Amino acid sequence: MTKSCGAGIPARPGPSDGACVCADRSVRATWFVLLAFLVLPSLANAYAGPGAGFAVLSSFWAIFVAFLYSFYALATWPFRQLFRFVRRRNAYGKAKFKRAVILGFDGMDPDLADRFMNEGRLPHLAKLRARGTFSKLRTTFPAISPVAWSTFMTGVNPGKHNIYDFLARDTSNYLPFLSSAEIKEPKRRLKIGRYSIPFGRTEIKGMRKGTPFWHWLGKAGIFSSVIRVPVTFPPEKFQGVLLSGMCVPDLKGSQGTFCLCTTRISNDKFREGGVRVPVERANGVCRSYIPGPESPLTEKAGSELRVAFEVRPDVGAKQARITVGAEKFTLKVGEYSSWIPVEFKAGLGFTAHGICRFYLKEIAPEVEVYVTPVNIDPGHPDLPISHPVTYSIYLAKLYGPYATLGLAEDTWALNEHVLDDDAFLAQAYSNHEDRERMLFDALDKTKQGLCTCVFDTTDRVQHMFWRYLEGDHPAARDVPHSQHPQVIQDLYQRMDRLIGRVMEKIDEGTLLMVISDHGFKSFARCLNLNAWLHQNGYLALKDGKTESGDWFQDVDWSRTRAYTMGLNGLYLNLKGREKQGIVNPAEAEGLKKELQQKLNGLADPASGAVGITGVFITDDVYRGPYTDNAPDLIVGYGAGYRASWDSVMGKVTAQIFEDNVKAWSGDHCIDPRLVPGVLFSSHKFVEEKPAIVDVAPTILQLFGLPLPTHFDGKAWELAAEAAASGD
Amino acid sequence: MVVVFGYTSDQKAIKVAKDQLKAHLLAVRLFRDQLPLVAGSYAKILRGTGRYLKLAFMPLLYVTIPITLLIVQLDRYLGSTAIQSRAPFLLTVRADGAEAMNALALDLPAEIAMTAPAVHVAAENEVVWRLAASRDGEYEIKVVAGGDNATKTLQVSSDPARVSAVRLKGHFWERLFTSGESALPASSVVESIAINYPERNIEIAGYEINWIVLFFVLSMIAGFLFKELLGIQI
Repeated sequence: MTKSCGAGIPARPGPSDGACVCADRSVRATWFVLLAFLVLPSLANAYAGPGAGFAVLSSFWAIFVAFLYSFYALATWPFRQLFRFVRRRNAYGKAKFKRAVILGFDGMDPDLADRFMNEGRLPHLAKLRARGTFSKLRTTFPAISPVAWSTFMTGVNPGKHNIYDFLARDTSNYLPFLSSAEIKEPKRRLKIGRYSIPFGRTEIKGMRKGTPFWHWLGKAGIFSSVIRVPVTFPPEKFQGVLLSGMCVPDLKGSQGTFCLCTTRISNDKFREGGVRVPVERANGVCRSYIPGPESPLTEKAGSELRVAFEVRPDVGAKQARITVGAEKFTLKVGEYSSWIPVEFKAGLGFTAHGICRFYLKEIAPEVEVYVTPVNIDPGHPDLPISHPVTYSIYLAKLYGPYATLGLAEDTWALNEHVLDDDAFLAQAYSNHEDRERMLFDALDKTKQGLCTCVFDTTDRVQHMFWRYLEGDHPAARDVPHSQHPQVIQDLYQRMDRLIGRVMEKIDEGTLLMVISDHGFKSFARCLNLNAWLHQNGYLALKDGKTESGDWFQDVDWSRTRAYTMGLNGLYLNLKGREKQGIVNPAEAEGLKKELQQKLNGLADPASGAVGITGVFITDDVYRGPYTDNAPDLIVGYGAGYRASWDSVMGKVTAQIFEDNVKAWSGDHCIDPRLVPGVLFSSHKFVEEKPAIVDVAPTILQLFGLPLPTHFDGKAWELAAEAAASGD
Repeated sequence: MVVVFGYTSDQKAIKVAKDQLKAHLLAVRLFRDQLPLVAGSYAKILRGTGRYLKLAFMPLLYVTIPITLLIVQLDRYLGSTAIQSRAPFLLTVRADGAEAMNALALDLPAEIAMTAPAVHVAAENEVVWRLAASRDGEYEIKVVAGGDNATKTLQVSSDPARVSAVRLKGHFWERLFTSGESALPASSVVESIAINYPERNIEIAGYEINWIVLFFVLSMIAGFLFKELLGIQI
């Protein structure tokens, strides 16, 4: 993908016509200039006014400023260093390692890892297993990434960090909101004519509580590089650099809204995650637009900003020329563009800066272009996505634009058949390569301290390709088993090669840990818990209704005692808490136990298999100041089962069980006991049942720091130390 | 010129080079507590600057030629002021030998008068006349050297005018950069005819500034403006 474009500088991945055409252009320009001099000597006399010619020299200005700043930094460096030395001279005094490298492989499954290691496919992980530690890593209740990674970084149970799911519910209207961050527009506005100009900054409030362990390290003078750990948006200040990961929104403020621009007329709407935009064709030119955020200069809904683009198909060459603003590029059918900058202009100088990629799906007979969700431009971030803000810019300048969206791999587009398997994988691995580059830069920049990076690819690819791991998954019944691609095996091997390259970069003084937040299981059958609650008299619909719409449309709250939304949470409609609550607090305990008893062991009538293997009353599993925000019960689905797509969105259907035929065919939002994560480490730990909550205390202890008393995890002991102390 | 630079340069490589320079600068700030990293970043900034200059060199070459000629042309108008009427000025004629020097004489228009006897500088084969013009206008001063005649234009004006300080025989490159007139005939015994036009300075906020400084500043502003408008990396 990477092309070299003069002077040995690696150019960024570009569109297909992005090769070095500069040479031809230079030759033509040379002849033009020389001929102009020979034939038209009077041209110079005709030059109008103080020309722009000297502008070329202005470029040296930037370099001049750079050197001025460098000189300043260099001259003051000894004083700053002395100051820091005095303040933090004992930072590494009791550290057992000078550096800890933690690689998070979201969703890496211990059983699959073990199987592939035993088959000899993962030599580097096998080396870690032989020399250090390989173990299952107990996950959180529920086994959901934002929950587990929040526990990883804070060393506490969800009752102390306040993240229980991707979504939380608003008790005043039973509607969902994002559990990790809240973005509020400025309250004050100045109205001038048709404009309503916001005053002040957009307020971004992080909902995750607790203190990430790298803050404790920073206070002790230990530097950390933290790359794409989930639920780190908005980024918090500490001694180090951080790039936010999962939960960073796109430019629209959603968790990722792709766009399918098409000449096909359809009134169908995508269930989630995408919009269909018409393409108008005239005189061989197709025109469409990318929908962007709402205009900040109006309070009216529906004032969406847009960026227009043009597609000129060349059917013979199976390619199209695309023009977006000043950017022009050619794509072949089935090819992605590089990241294209797009500016959504609202007027009065208000501009939202984004980046997106185009994928040419089809040019004849119809024209279809897929556009990724518009990511926040890391080189020009309109919202803070890193600490310091300049860190995302630094990475963008160093490696070119990259995906900033939390859930950057467009799983919805694959679910909706907008992307096919290959297009999805190309996108996922392109993002993965960017993150690998960031990791290796962080390794180079963090010779001492903590370097941690979470890779989402493992999670997304397993979610979408588990169907090929089994012989009879409902989502892959139309593909003969012999033709199932080895996507997940390839994924694990790719991650293993990454570990190999990391191992080449570290020495004995570095602790390498590879962890995952949870494992994976099949998601072959959907279970609509709202339907079960309805059919068992806990949830009531309005008279005459047999099903509800999304988010509890047509639910009669005056007769509803329990409901579910999100992936694992089950809520009582509690009086005094929910706006239309009817369950008396005194009856709540009894109702929870009743639901626990009835749901536990719920069998699928189609096969007799157990759909729910555990129901946990959260008062028993959570401790802390934020337990009031927790669901009342956590439902642990059995292997092969998960909350249905409708149930997650607060919809009551007639069927309780149904097949899952979506590409999203593997999952982990089940009984947490069934999906532990993995723990590999370069040094052996003595711990029989390690848990993800133990990672933070372990790291602090290895750096010789005292453990905060509110931690729920316990620090693991190194085998070498245990042997030395005779334990 | 910005457009010429845009077409003659590898825009993509220049953007990457500039971005990398910025990245290394940011690295100095982000990792300022780590001396080896800061030192490494400085080295990369130096290397990056070299790479950038290399990329800018060829297009700069293309731009330099017209710019140089442009400045020469502009200097004719802005570098010197014309001779003021009734103000004395010097006309210096150089001959190709002592004999020819001794034979030099002037044939002046009616509006031009000699205000002092000619001075012969034998060591340089030069004769210097002090003259003055009674009225504004463009005149031809005829230098008579035996059987040869050579002319030199003279601008007398209080307004900006295109002036040529010297007329030369041969000396192509010198003529290109310093003379605004055609060459003297190759057979002429006159090597050069020069007039000492006064230097022009532009007064801005009480300061006398050479036009080239002002040109530099205005060009920078125009360049920045146009590079943004045209989307060209410089």
